[in-house]
Amino acid sequence: MSAVTRRRVGWTAAALLLLLLAVLLSLAVGSRPVAPGAVWDALVHGGQSENAQVVRSLRVPRTVIGVLVGAALAVAGTVLQGITRNPIAEPGILGISQGASVGVVCAITFFGVHTLTGYVWYAFAGAGLAAVAIYAVAGSGRGGASPVKLALAGAAMNAFLASVVSGIVTTDARALDEFRFWDVGSISGRDLTIAGQVWPFLTVGLLLAFALARGLDALALGDDVARGLGRNVPLLRATGALSATLLTGAAVAAAGPIAFTGLAVPHIARALVGPAHRWLLPLAALLGPVMLLLADVLGRIVVRPSEVPVAVMTALAGVPFLVVLVRRKAVPAV
Amino acid sequence: MTRVVESPPPVAARPAGYAVLRAGRCSVLLHRRAVVVAVVLAVLLAVTVVASLCLGQSYVSPGEVVRVLLGLPSPDELVVGTLRLPRLVTGLLVGAAFGLAGGLIQTVARNPLASPDVIGVTHGAGAATVAAMTFGVTSYAVLPYVSVAGGLGAALLVYLLAWRGGLHANRFVLIGIGISVALASLTRLFVTKGDYLVAQQAKVWLTGSLNGRGYDQAAPLATILLLLLPFLVWAARAQRGADFGDDTAVALGIRLGRVRLGLSALGVVLASAATAAAGPVDFVALLAPQIARRLTRTPHIPPVCSALMGALIVVVADLMARRLLSPLELPVGVFTAVVGAPYLMWLIVRSRARR
Repeated sequence: MSAVTRRRVGWTAAALLLLLLAVLLSLAVGSRPVAPGAVWDALVHGGQSENAQVVRSLRVPRTVIGVLVGAALAVAGTVLQGITRNPIAEPGILGISQGASVGVVCAITFFGVHTLTGYVWYAFAGAGLAAVAIYAVAGSGRGGASPVKLALAGAAMNAFLASVVSGIVTTDARALDEFRFWDVGSISGRDLTIAGQVWPFLTVGLLLAFALARGLDALALGDDVARGLGRNVPLLRATGALSATLLTGAAVAAAGPIAFTGLAVPHIARALVGPAHRWLLPLAALLGPVMLLLADVLGRIVVRPSEVPVAVMTALAGVPFLVVLVRRKAVPAV
Repeated sequence: MTRVVESPPPVAARPAGYAVLRAGRCSVLLHRRAVVVAVVLAVLLAVTVVASLCLGQSYVSPGEVVRVLLGLPSPDELVVGTLRLPRLVTGLLVGAAFGLAGGLIQTVARNPLASPDVIGVTHGAGAATVAAMTFGVTSYAVLPYVSVAGGLGAALLVYLLAWRGGLHANRFVLIGIGISVALASLTRLFVTKGDYLVAQQAKVWLTGSLNGRGYDQAAPLATILLLLLPFLVWAARAQRGADFGDDTAVALGIRLGRVRLGLSALGVVLASAATAAAGPVDFVALLAPQIARRLTRTPHIPPVCSALMGALIVVVADLMARRLLSPLELPVGVFTAVVGAPYLMWLIVRSRARR
């Protein structure tokens, strides 16, 4: 085994251990501290104590959804960065998550859809439309889709869609309660049925992303080289966009818009295992849940006894990454 | 032998399209078209003001509105004078302040994409205000100053983080967007931390709405605007110098660094003070100066027209927010964002690789 491979395997194994640790923390820490022993008892021996009930009925669903959403967003971010060759591409910054959120809100208000399996399709439609609109706006004009144009178009898109959501919510007070999830991303208060409903979509999205690994490597060398290597570049981009839309839409349907996980994780993973996507994508899928769960755990303890939605914590943790990225690179002009 | 050099008679040297107004030793260079546009905007604004006071849950005739405005006795004094007028005054001041602030910051950045909401000022002001509310400061006499401090702090932070052996406009904008998101998240955190009443007050304020705003919020903003008036007169002159390219400005003897610092500080203070009064009303600062410039066709951003345009945008948006879905009321920020965001995208579509 070469040194590079050893390093890659080592980091992947370390990420797996970190994920286990994050899961354990997410099960044990909260407004009611539960000892790791009691967690084990609740999960394996089916303890009937109050602690065991809390762990099984509240923390397990929350953790499972956190793992699914974290993996989805991190892989979506990696794929988006790959197909746009843009270091700041991310579903949250680009407004794709907010697009999915508008889809969900419209489904509930105008089409009377109230089940996740029903409105997840609207989330996909919203995410897809937002992605196409952003890329059309940022990619037009001279210079193509530069990071600044993508970020600005994304900021404009986010502001626009957020005001659409708040406009709809204001006019339909009856459903206001149902909307709270899509206002700020949070993984609390969902039950396991939601996880059961989103996992097929996430699996398809993840498989699609992993199937693209080689193609994304070729694309990193530039469109011309990728074409020279026998890749169908437009097909590659379209499949990548489809995968990112599926992952983002499903994640938003489960947890609302959560930004910056998809930005920070791919960059951390790239620093650890290098740019080859067949290592990068799995590591991102492992580290995404780690970041999301740790942010969620932190959100439970910073303002005890109330809780901060996980989206707030990931944004606070992710912004320093954006700052470092922007400072490190020579940013092309708008 | 003496030779008399015939010098041509002095010609009134003034650029085309300008008129010179002289009073003794003082003279002002006026852009003719800008004056016309300012007058038209002022008339439009007056019409909208009267319309905004007429329309509401109950209709009041324009005649009665004018009577109330002139201080004459009228049966509709309660509805117009006490209920609608304070809100309208706040809207006017907020719009004017955002319009001026946007113009100043766009001049310094020499980029129509820059605006206080994009570079983190409004979110800084918001985070500071909500933090102050959480720690028990709820008086509207103190909050505007906290808000200004927050806006200045955020601008300074973005400036320092974007500084790397020089200030690159794009780095500035990207870091501004990031810091905005972080500050918005921080605001959420403070809202969660505060008790229920604070959370309610903060949430109403954060939507960027004129609902329930009145003289309590307008008075500090008016004070700040009055205090800044001498600086604004200075800025109106300095803006023209700063609008040249760096080399030209330096050759003309303009202390570019200081002028830019002064102009941006002024813009930040104005935007923060306006945010303190109405919450973050998105995109007014982005839209108003650019529309004003397109209307006047001046090479620089016209300050008076920007202020009028800002006031007009806010008053019209608030009127629509109040009446469109009546009896429901939308926050005015929703309307300005729905109009402003597509405009920002249009700017991006039209932008060139290098300017």
